[in-house]
Amino acid sequence: MFRRDTTAESHFRIEVRTWLEANLPLALRGRTARPPPAELMPWYQALSRKGWIAPHWPKHYGGMGATLNEQIIITEELARIGAPQLPAQGLNHIGPILMKFGTEAQKAQHLPPIIAGTVIWAQGYSEPGAGSDLASLSTRATLEGDHFIVRGQKIWTTWGHHSDWMFALVRTDPQAQPRQAGISFLLVDLRSPGIRIRPIKTIAGDDEFSEVFFDDVIVPTENLVGKLNDGWCIANALLGHERLASSNPQFPLMALERIKTMARASGVIADPAFQDRLAAASINVTALSALFSHAVELTNNNQSPGPESSVIKIFASELLQTLNELLVQAAGGHASTQNPITTNFGVVDVAAPFLQSRRVTIYGGSSEIQRNVLARRVLNLPS
Amino acid sequence: MDLHLTSEQTLLRDSAVKFIQAAGPKVARAFREQDPSFAPERLRWAGEVGWLGMLVPTSADGLGLGLTELALLLEQAGRGLVCEPIGFAAISAAALAQGGTPHPVLERVMTGRALVVPALEESGYGDDPLSPRTQMVGEAGALRLTGQKTFVCADGADGFLVSASGPDEPALYYVARNARGCSLTTTQTVEGRKLATLGLAQAPADLIPPHPSSRNAVEALYNLALMALSCELLGVMERAQEITLDYLRIRKQFGKLIGSFQALQHQAVNIYVCVEAIRSLVFQIAAHNEVFDIDPAMAIALKAKASEDALFVTEACIQLHGAIGFTDEHDIGLYLKRAMLLSSLFGNAAAQRRRYVALANITA
Repeated sequence: MFRRDTTAESHFRIEVRTWLEANLPLALRGRTARPPPAELMPWYQALSRKGWIAPHWPKHYGGMGATLNEQIIITEELARIGAPQLPAQGLNHIGPILMKFGTEAQKAQHLPPIIAGTVIWAQGYSEPGAGSDLASLSTRATLEGDHFIVRGQKIWTTWGHHSDWMFALVRTDPQAQPRQAGISFLLVDLRSPGIRIRPIKTIAGDDEFSEVFFDDVIVPTENLVGKLNDGWCIANALLGHERLASSNPQFPLMALERIKTMARASGVIADPAFQDRLAAASINVTALSALFSHAVELTNNNQSPGPESSVIKIFASELLQTLNELLVQAAGGHASTQNPITTNFGVVDVAAPFLQSRRVTIYGGSSEIQRNVLARRVLNLPS
Repeated sequence: MDLHLTSEQTLLRDSAVKFIQAAGPKVARAFREQDPSFAPERLRWAGEVGWLGMLVPTSADGLGLGLTELALLLEQAGRGLVCEPIGFAAISAAALAQGGTPHPVLERVMTGRALVVPALEESGYGDDPLSPRTQMVGEAGALRLTGQKTFVCADGADGFLVSASGPDEPALYYVARNARGCSLTTTQTVEGRKLATLGLAQAPADLIPPHPSSRNAVEALYNLALMALSCELLGVMERAQEITLDYLRIRKQFGKLIGSFQALQHQAVNIYVCVEAIRSLVFQIAAHNEVFDIDPAMAIALKAKASEDALFVTEACIQLHGAIGFTDEHDIGLYLKRAMLLSSLFGNAAAQRRRYVALANITA
């Protein structure tokens, strides 16, 4: 973006672009809802065979060990072609957590299938009574000999009904004070007896998430990550990386392209008032790219992004919403229609991405929770 | 978020921090309605330590540094409400040195004994810098400029870098303050300092040829000015934020520290998000662009956002202070006023966005 490619980087960009053009199925381009696994996972696996599925993972875990600029080039090229959103719980969440806290056996069992795209992971944090107040979670895991018995319920589990495994926060000490000190981090095979999963339909009409019921589910103790009652620290240790990975500019860049297409088709592009808003949004996408590059540079220098990374989560999610609001304005009367709009400039999906964007300021810690975190932990404001 | 700096860059920043310890709100107040409204000996000091020649190549006795170093210095200047025009002096020195043979005034500019500032604006509404109405006529050795430049930071200036149209594409010229046909009409700024309209009537001028890496000397200097102003705006925002956070940590109402109220905490975070975004933009652009070849879309994007966010931040800082923030006695208002000046120079946010639309191919 503000960076200019070196000769080597520009070769790499052309290589990525050419390969994507040749290999990403047309049916998967420009999709707003995440396609179902039967459609999406072959693409995941193709990226994996090419060696590009995990640019940010070290090589010895099967990643690409890519430089910052290579990571950004891949992001930009995926956006350019309109690549679909991949399931990221394995690549961005449990993968890095296991690299840091997992046993050798856990790494050997779980990392290769994440790279290969043969296992899909779900995150089991939220519960009906524990959303923003996550530390109040009550799904119980009782230690009995060489296994835990898990009983309770998780909710808002992204792709839960498509997933094979879940990494979950469970209560292992109900008496602990503070409550965070009684929580452990467990890996749960979702094919275990006693598990029931029910998809939940969203306002966008898809079933992106689900609720998961645990009825005395047996989980072997070797599936405990880290020490007993250490789960809160483990879940939080890499939060910065997760916020960072989920805030990459790919989706805002795609949204920007969608707005331009729609605005050209509707003619709104000639309206100076609209141009001003579009310029402001476009400039903010540049700013997001700067924040993202800056944060990735720090990470590459082994400085954790830390709680400051809430900034990028807030910025990226609120920007995506602003962009989708602009898309709705560009579409005029068409915005109220359910299906993608066919124009002289191509087919544009409006209502679906707009509706989907409403969740990004809620999941992964709402914008309000991120602001609370920043106010207390970074700005040192009193409580 | 922290920056990853070399040891030389850290040294530069530390000496800039020291420099601004002798500046700050109190000093800025003392310069109100003074002539000039800064300390010439401080400008000379900045020249002696090499800052004014920081972007000048070593072959012309400068430090040969880049945009990251400029940003580190000017961020501090913004924080300290520094009145000496270090940024304009440094970018003008770079411009004077950019051709094959440096302009003769360069040596005095680099040492702070002469002040040269850019004079590129003509309307103040974000005009196209490459279509100046100021005209050049004449031949080599006898060039004459006629026209008018607005919002020139001419306070204490000995010369100007002026853009003008001629037979070929627009070019950059040096005009001495005391040249025949050169006149200044001054107005007072909100800070109690001075801006001028520069009148040129057949004023003699020297051509400043472009740097080999830039397409046009006017465009290169314009983008450099947008960068410099944005770096200072970053510093202004940072310091305003700190002052406000300190206030939120000590002021009590309803028996509690007001910084514990969620509404105020969230507004404080909104300020922080702006500051971090501008900091990342400034230093990413600085790291990936050459002094005379700044990507114009990036310079415009940065100035647009820095201008808008600096006003939002300093306005919000006054609101978070309550009534005391509205008094002249309190320092926080000085940051709003400095933000007003820097935001409006060389095109405010709306003006930059208009240019961005035209340049970034948004409507194509």
